[in-house]
Amino acid sequence: MLSEAVRSISANLSTTVAATMTVLIGMFLLGLVIAFATYARSWSDDVKSGLVVKVFHDRDATPKQVDAVRVVLERDSLVNQNRIEFVSAKEGLEQMQKDRPDLFSAKLPYNPLGPAWTVYPKRAEDVEQIANRLGAKTERYPAGVHNVTYGKEKARRILKVANIINAIFGIAVLVLVSAAAILIANTIRLSIFARRREIEVMKLVGATNWFVRGPFMLEGLLCGLTGSVLAVILLFLSKEVALPSILPRLASDPGVGALGFWLIALILMGVGLVLGAAGSGLTLRRFLRV
Amino acid sequence: MTAVQENTLVTDSPVDLAEQAAPQSESAAAAARAMIVFDGVEKVYDPDVVALETASFVIEKGEFVFLVGPSGSGKSTLIRLLLKEIEPTSGRIFVGGRDLGRLRRSKVPQLRRNIGCVFQDFKLLPNRNAGENVAYALKVQGEGRNAIRRKVPEVLGLVGLTHKTDSYPDELSGGEQQRVSIARAFVNHPPLLVCDEPTGNLDPDTSVGIMQLLYRINRSGTTVLMATHDREMVDKMRRRVIALEDGRIARDERRGGYTTE
Repeated sequence: MLSEAVRSISANLSTTVAATMTVLIGMFLLGLVIAFATYARSWSDDVKSGLVVKVFHDRDATPKQVDAVRVVLERDSLVNQNRIEFVSAKEGLEQMQKDRPDLFSAKLPYNPLGPAWTVYPKRAEDVEQIANRLGAKTERYPAGVHNVTYGKEKARRILKVANIINAIFGIAVLVLVSAAAILIANTIRLSIFARRREIEVMKLVGATNWFVRGPFMLEGLLCGLTGSVLAVILLFLSKEVALPSILPRLASDPGVGALGFWLIALILMGVGLVLGAAGSGLTLRRFLRV
Repeated sequence: MTAVQENTLVTDSPVDLAEQAAPQSESAAAAARAMIVFDGVEKVYDPDVVALETASFVIEKGEFVFLVGPSGSGKSTLIRLLLKEIEPTSGRIFVGGRDLGRLRRSKVPQLRRNIGCVFQDFKLLPNRNAGENVAYALKVQGEGRNAIRRKVPEVLGLVGLTHKTDSYPDELSGGEQQRVSIARAFVNHPPLLVCDEPTGNLDPDTSVGIMQLLYRINRSGTTVLMATHDREMVDKMRRRVIALEDGRIARDERRGGYTTE
């Protein structure tokens, strides 16, 4: 069967090359989109993970009042219980001095800050609700609390952008996969159509469907494999050579990264193989009814 | 001629179709003995074009039968029914004792391997040379390389084309191409050879050569059914003639001519 496939590939080189190129282009674009999509997702996740609720106590808040807030937070199901951080007045000041040294050119006579809580949500989308439960909306805070913030506008905008990015890339992946599938199926159909007489003869001398289909599917498989391997090579080159010069800081962001390159490569080869083999196998069905 | 004489083993070849039948009645037993049985076969194409109208005939093993009639009289329909390319609207068809109506689709390749086919337009694979075209029919059956190496030269010798083994179809004349296609049809030594106007595209002299070849194949025990327009040939050979007209069997004569005198 392999010899039959190799034979038909060399006999129909132009259509084979066309099919391989189609796979190559389709898989290259798909690879790019997957890389960017996963990168964008990871970026928006990173930004979203920076969304926190901050609860500021009065300077003279009693330990009892602080404890009451702790109890409220610990009972809140939207809060990530492992990440309720207490910031004492002293730590708060030190943090502030580190962040904005320009404000602290003179030594302060006393610490103007009270203790505070930094609360991480389970889902970034819930910051607003958590804050509202502590009175952020009505500005009627629990006793001993003088402010609750969650970066209102910033949070909204970040979440909106993240959602848009997710939607755009989801659609792009969908469109690309189906476009690649249709293109490949068409190319294969052309090559099969050019050989439908051949198939007719095969059937007439008593070839079983699988005997006819086998070489075609193997051919599709080889096209798919070759195309996707070439696409992976091309992607690798663009990742190593082109990307750093276009977006030098993209690769260096800590905590943000696309899906691993080799994982993408594996996905592409799998998709290419399946598209090639299934494409030719399914297209053949019509011509096998002799 | 030795090759042809060897071919008498055709009748008891391992793929003898008759063994598959389980005759229940006397007519069924007769059906099992005959090569081809058409029992009230009708074929109506959509919407209501009658291609074949209640055709009934029996062709015994080893017969040579001409199928004559003008274009559109149903010759090709009859042949396509034999190959189970199409299904009859009603009636039953037996080939080598096998009821085609009860033959599963997956067994159709098996059926076709037992029927050699020769066509007016040769139907050779253009990207394979003569030897490979013949070998393909063997490969399809899963024959080993050694068997192929043995059988292909043998059958090409039979049709007189040993020296053209490596020629591609477009390097061969019409008559030579038809010889290759006969070699391909016969390389499995099928019990039945079906020819659809095999001389239709050939000049008279070449046609005679092809007919002689088919005659020799028939003498070796293979049943030959040949659809043709070639009046001269039919009149000269004086074999059984089944004449079709507008989908009906107009005539069935033991030693007939192309037309009734």
